[in-house]
Amino acid sequence: MYHFKFIVSIIKFIFWGNTSIIKIAVHNNKGCAIILFNLIFILIENAYTLGENMNLRLTFTIIVSKLAIKICRLTRRGGTTLPGKIARKLYPDIINVITGGFKTIMVTGTNGKTTTTRVIGQILKENDIDYITNKSGANLVGGVITTFIDSVDIHGKSPISTALIEIDEAAFKVMCNFLEPDILVVTNFFRDQLDRYGELYTTLNGVKAGISKLKNTKLVLNADDSLCASIGKDTGKEAVYYGFDSYAHTAVEETLNSDAMFCIYCKTKYHYSNHVYGHLGGFKCPACGYEKPSTDITCIKVDELTSSYSKIQFSIDGLTKDSSSEDGSDISAFNAKVGLPGLYNVYNALAAIACGHLLNLPVENSINAVSSFECGFGRMETIVTEGKNIKLILVKNPTGFNQVLSYLLTETQNMQLAFLINDKLADGTDISWLWDVDFEKLHEVQERVDSFYTSGIRAEDMAVRLKYAGVYANKICVKKDYSQLIAEGLEKTPEGHSFYILPTYTAMLDIRKVLKEKYGLKEFWK
Amino acid sequence: MYDISICHLYPDLLNLYGDRGNIIALKKRCEWRGINVNIDNITLGDAFDSERYDIIFLGGGQDYEQQIIQDDVLNIKGNEIKSAIENNKVFLCICGGYQLLGKYYKTWDGKEIEFLGALDLWTIGGEKRMIGNVVFECDFLKSDNFDGKIVGFENHSGRTYLGPELKPLGKVIKGYGNNGEDMYEGAIYKNVYCSYSHGSLLPKNPALTDHLITLALKQKYKDFVSLQPLNDDFEELARNSMIKRVVG
Repeated sequence: MYHFKFIVSIIKFIFWGNTSIIKIAVHNNKGCAIILFNLIFILIENAYTLGENMNLRLTFTIIVSKLAIKICRLTRRGGTTLPGKIARKLYPDIINVITGGFKTIMVTGTNGKTTTTRVIGQILKENDIDYITNKSGANLVGGVITTFIDSVDIHGKSPISTALIEIDEAAFKVMCNFLEPDILVVTNFFRDQLDRYGELYTTLNGVKAGISKLKNTKLVLNADDSLCASIGKDTGKEAVYYGFDSYAHTAVEETLNSDAMFCIYCKTKYHYSNHVYGHLGGFKCPACGYEKPSTDITCIKVDELTSSYSKIQFSIDGLTKDSSSEDGSDISAFNAKVGLPGLYNVYNALAAIACGHLLNLPVENSINAVSSFECGFGRMETIVTEGKNIKLILVKNPTGFNQVLSYLLTETQNMQLAFLINDKLADGTDISWLWDVDFEKLHEVQERVDSFYTSGIRAEDMAVRLKYAGVYANKICVKKDYSQLIAEGLEKTPEGHSFYILPTYTAMLDIRKVLKEKYGLKEFWK
Repeated sequence: MYDISICHLYPDLLNLYGDRGNIIALKKRCEWRGINVNIDNITLGDAFDSERYDIIFLGGGQDYEQQIIQDDVLNIKGNEIKSAIENNKVFLCICGGYQLLGKYYKTWDGKEIEFLGALDLWTIGGEKRMIGNVVFECDFLKSDNFDGKIVGFENHSGRTYLGPELKPLGKVIKGYGNNGEDMYEGAIYKNVYCSYSHGSLLPKNPALTDHLITLALKQKYKDFVSLQPLNDDFEELARNSMIKRVVG
């Protein structure tokens, strides 16, 4: 009788109570059937555990949220934040309750969050550690809660005890109210979508304020980033630093638009012993003495940078390689191949190795992981069709975009390029940052590019940007329809060559839909 | 053969929101017409001799960077900037650079920060940021084949008010403009053009870019009459798509 009442109350709630779910149901013909089917499914699945000592409100919230997750997936929305929102409405404290049993690793920062999270995931896999993670880039508070709800049973318990969470740097401060990570990895700070985040220093101070709420979190910080490293200095928390040795790599390109040229403490211009890219490098303030902290995980040499991987040597403070390596090489140096191209991915790999080190995992497993990991959502994906490659690379801010362009300069074959620029909220509604991207350097590959396509909501603005960057106007082609764009781009691409598509976040979601229909690209939340 | 010399003031500090696109637009539109362009980056501690330049650009920065240049602008380069303005030099000032030429900035909690005072305008900080695409209409750009509409993106919390000596740059059709109250955007004084609009402002609005280049050439060369037209298909496409989207 008791259980019957309970079930009835859930059904009542879903059909008369929560409008969000109803809206989804009504907008989809299959909706109502799906709700009923799933409700029954969840109840049957969990029926045997409906014991007497349960927290009814918690169970109720989890069931409703799990149902919402299933509906979101079945209606192909891919929206992974709504269920978390619903859960917080129903049970504000839910995140505290259901995350208590997890050891949580959190990753935040402007660039490289997703990749770093993925590499850490690969390290955990190498060590046979099961973990849950928010895979689809759903990295706001709602998305994180959804991830946890998805992984616990209706009593809020999970057999898995490690959580690996990517969190948006602007959402981090709020997240800290609910969840204390055991390890927090901060990648870097660059200007990003200023209209959403306010100013760079506001974002940084928000992260610091969040960290100051935490009690026992260990930090992994980028020593080469004066903004990121200041977190360690200002919060006084225990931190492991990673970065490049000053002789590891000599930057070829002059940094155009530095985001942090002046000392964060006294506003004096930094001196640099070496530049890696952007404002990253061996900084030191000549006035107040604030400088790059000494690194625990150090890239001591970049041996090779190619368009598909990098080879590096790194050291871990206090750790030496098995000295049986008799080739005369430095016994403190480990060799690693980083399975993704670009210096920015070397940083991501170092951050992940630092995290593995903090977890006391064998360094050999971390090395295996960084050489073999699969790339995160859209950061770089290759689809092979008719012997041609479609390469998708997400672009979202000047520094990241510049790194992608540098990577394109390493392409030696003829290629097609497409820039897909949207200005929805998740992309940043202000696209003026395109003028801070150094498209001028494309002139080096201009002869190897047949067409520069521009698409997305702001295709016209992108065309103007390319024109003023010196791209021949007759090579610029505004093509708004994604199906036509892909068809035409592929047609012009010879076999064995690549068609590069560089979308902003929501443009990535849209073009993936088209690619999925035509070329069977897998669902991103799986 | 004509030459134009452009000064980018504090490019390493006042470089928010792609403002350097304005420099790129000025440069390219000169070069496409065979006009030689020289660009000097002048920053903290550098000597600034305005006589050497035909167009002077001042962009916007974050609060942090604006604090760094405050002293240099007011006490070191200030007089030179003021006399250049009075001597009819062409200026383009965006957002923070626009505010900086004014008399003061009063923060929302009442603290008054002294600015350069080169122009009769002042700014009052607000708690609400005025963010979004903006379309405004400039009478001085209107002609038989141009509607005078300028598009851009604004992002500011300061509300700026103009004294009687200044004319607004344009009338807001959609967006906030100077203060979200009087529906005017930007300011003009002699050959100084100020706007809250970045995005960048000039690349998508070639009529305004050409207006500034023309003014500069007329100042410098007595025989200069007008610029030859260019193919602006992409610029027009971008401008019109935004006007259509914002105004309808």
